[in-house]
Amino acid sequence: MTYIAGVDIGNSTTEVCIGEATLDKNIHFLSSASCPTTGTKGTLENTHGIQTALKLALNKIGLDTQSLSLIRLNEAAPVIGDTAMETLTETIITDSSMIGHNPSTPAGVGQATGYIISIDNLSSIEKGKDYIVSASNLHSYDEIAQKINIASKAFHIVGAILQADEAVLVKNRLEQEIPIIDEVTHIEKLPDGVLAAIEVALPGQSIRMLSNPYGIATLLKLSAKQTQSITPIAKSLIGKRSAVVLKTPSGNIRENMLPAGEIYFEAENPSSIHLDEGAEKIMEAVANAGKIQDIHGQKNTNVGNMFSRIKHGMGELDDISKTDIHITDILAVDTMAPVLISGALAGETCLEKAIGIAAMVKTQQLPMQKIAQQLHRELNVPVIVAGVEAVMASLGAITTPGTTLPLAILDMGGGSTDAAVITEEGHVTLTHQAGAGELVSMLIQTELGLKDRHIAEQIKKYPLAKVESLFHMRMESGEMHFVENSIDPRFYGRVILITENGFIRIEEDIPMEKIVQVRRDAKQKVFITNALRALKKVAPMENLKKITNVVLVGGSAEDFEIPEMLMQELAQYRIVCGRGNIRGTQGPRNAVATGLVLSYLGGQHDS
Amino acid sequence: MQISEDLIKQITNAVLQEMGQSANSTSLVGKDRINPKRTSYANYKKAAKGTNPKEVVIGVGAAFQREIKRTICNIPLDEVLENLKAGIEEEGMVPRVVKILDTSDVCFMALEAAKLSGSGIGIGIQSKGTTVIHQKDLYPLSNLELFPQAPLMTLDTYRKIGQNAAKYVKGEQVIPIPCTNDPMSRPKYQVKAALMHIAETEQLDPEIGIIEWEEK
Repeated sequence: MTYIAGVDIGNSTTEVCIGEATLDKNIHFLSSASCPTTGTKGTLENTHGIQTALKLALNKIGLDTQSLSLIRLNEAAPVIGDTAMETLTETIITDSSMIGHNPSTPAGVGQATGYIISIDNLSSIEKGKDYIVSASNLHSYDEIAQKINIASKAFHIVGAILQADEAVLVKNRLEQEIPIIDEVTHIEKLPDGVLAAIEVALPGQSIRMLSNPYGIATLLKLSAKQTQSITPIAKSLIGKRSAVVLKTPSGNIRENMLPAGEIYFEAENPSSIHLDEGAEKIMEAVANAGKIQDIHGQKNTNVGNMFSRIKHGMGELDDISKTDIHITDILAVDTMAPVLISGALAGETCLEKAIGIAAMVKTQQLPMQKIAQQLHRELNVPVIVAGVEAVMASLGAITTPGTTLPLAILDMGGGSTDAAVITEEGHVTLTHQAGAGELVSMLIQTELGLKDRHIAEQIKKYPLAKVESLFHMRMESGEMHFVENSIDPRFYGRVILITENGFIRIEEDIPMEKIVQVRRDAKQKVFITNALRALKKVAPMENLKKITNVVLVGGSAEDFEIPEMLMQELAQYRIVCGRGNIRGTQGPRNAVATGLVLSYLGGQHDS
Repeated sequence: MQISEDLIKQITNAVLQEMGQSANSTSLVGKDRINPKRTSYANYKKAAKGTNPKEVVIGVGAAFQREIKRTICNIPLDEVLENLKAGIEEEGMVPRVVKILDTSDVCFMALEAAKLSGSGIGIGIQSKGTTVIHQKDLYPLSNLELFPQAPLMTLDTYRKIGQNAAKYVKGEQVIPIPCTNDPMSRPKYQVKAALMHIAETEQLDPEIGIIEWEEK
């Protein structure tokens, strides 16, 4: 009996497939397994992962490595993906002209305009003017309420701004109802005697007057010219539950464009583009550039540093001199990042424009031959490097029931999206595109303002639910799910991820709907764009309609919503598209390893 | 130094004198209670089950604000209760205080408070300061939040406990309460904690059960 192993080393997982070649030139598949790739793809450290995966697969059928007659490795594509992010704008507040934030519990509703007066200076209050009282957290809520109650008997007090989280407590002790804003961290920066407008929104709504330039003009009696200059203030207050705007002579808020820099393409049609033109224009430039040899950025600008960082990182991993590393493709995606406003009084954030870039780095051939030799020494089994990854993936994909030639595959991994088309004659066209799962994780992380990448990756992979009581939760689809045994109290009231090993709770206070939206947007931006881009490149005459079948393989094809998104998008081109099911049993995984075993037969014919 | 019979007599007398004094003041030798009498709550109103869905019930220990006036780290219990209630109020919910006379175990106290609460969320607090947030459907020893290191709690912690309890009622995401941890607090406070617990337990009056407690 001849036992053959196919081994596929991927960016994140190593997969093996064991097959038995019978004398009548048939292949029986016996077993398969996968384990995490050890070290960077294409380095000697990979052998540990390969051995583990081989042992796993062979144990299932009661064999050991010595019984193998041949191990076939993939010729891994010498491309490695990397991602980076850069913000393009920043908001600066000068002279403390506004506070707009979302304290969890402001009190009272409505707007008020008056002069700021600190609670310590209430003795200097004058008749005939409206006042807004500011109080630091050195004063208790009882004391603040008492002082306002006494003062408002003789004077007009129309609102209050507090440092501590005590708005409701103060409001419950006041004789008259006024809007109160709390949790203003730097209350000491509020100047006395300045005219200010405050607003607290109705429950479930956001403010209306102060997020409207004419609203601010009405409340603060501004001229047409002044109204023009406060427009950025109004813009940055959109969507807040409460806000304060001060009328300061020089106070202003600016939106700065950061010096982002230019991207240069060394290609058939050399060109350059400014980063702040946005993702769409950049991708147009990429498409028009033709075959790209290298991409770099303007020196000493954000984008320049971003590209040299990617190249530097790759050089360290691979021990290759920097001149040998070329960026051959990029995927740019527009995004928003919550950034702390400089000069803000209550730690407000503003969504700034940002751009996320995935780059694909081409190195020289990966030392697969060295890995093969090392593996041969360790296991004493013949090892050969057999065939290009994309071709093997296509071979494996054909084992999906219901497929036929010509066939296109879309291999969506962690670092890159690869596409290949096999014609009836067995001719293969293939392409590698930058941007896949890792870029999605990065977008989720930045847009939600998460601290670590790990939780962003979990959000990408698993559906969400909100635990509403100890016995039921609301799934992201809106369905109510009642559980048999009570849910662990640690998840009470939380947004959770439903994984195969139980729940993961999300520590950040972000509504479930927002997370779902960000997650779906990120996947759309990366995978739909990239799938269309990649398929166009490999399609006969670059015409998508010439492709009839697309089989999705690779790690991201296992995702619970990406295949459906692609299916909907590709249906417009009348393409049959779906998640692969390798050998009818393996799902979208193991395509390359299966292809490697199958290609053994072809190899036999040749010899 | 020479030890004479005289000297030994002198020392013995001095020691005996000292012992006599301390026995008169605080020694527990020969006593079986810390406080000689059990306070009677017979004419207090029995606590009823609340119907307000915004309610959070705080269940305090038997000796709370009576025999014991301060927590283990000397925070006045009046202020502790004040801050718990303020936290609940700030989140828009309604506090109610009951005194639990049938148990001094903080988890059971919290569960009983939760069962009386209109919202099903309750807080149990022992006179020494240990606090638990509970929900009426949980097992006694599986709670929502437990704050076991009473010696390290501050008034701010109690305010936040009140806020979190109210957030559970609203089904909102609670904010993790930063707690300090000191491995030395156990040896340092073990005796004091035991004595305070005994003082609380001996005030129990299971026949009366749970009473409305708004001593102001």
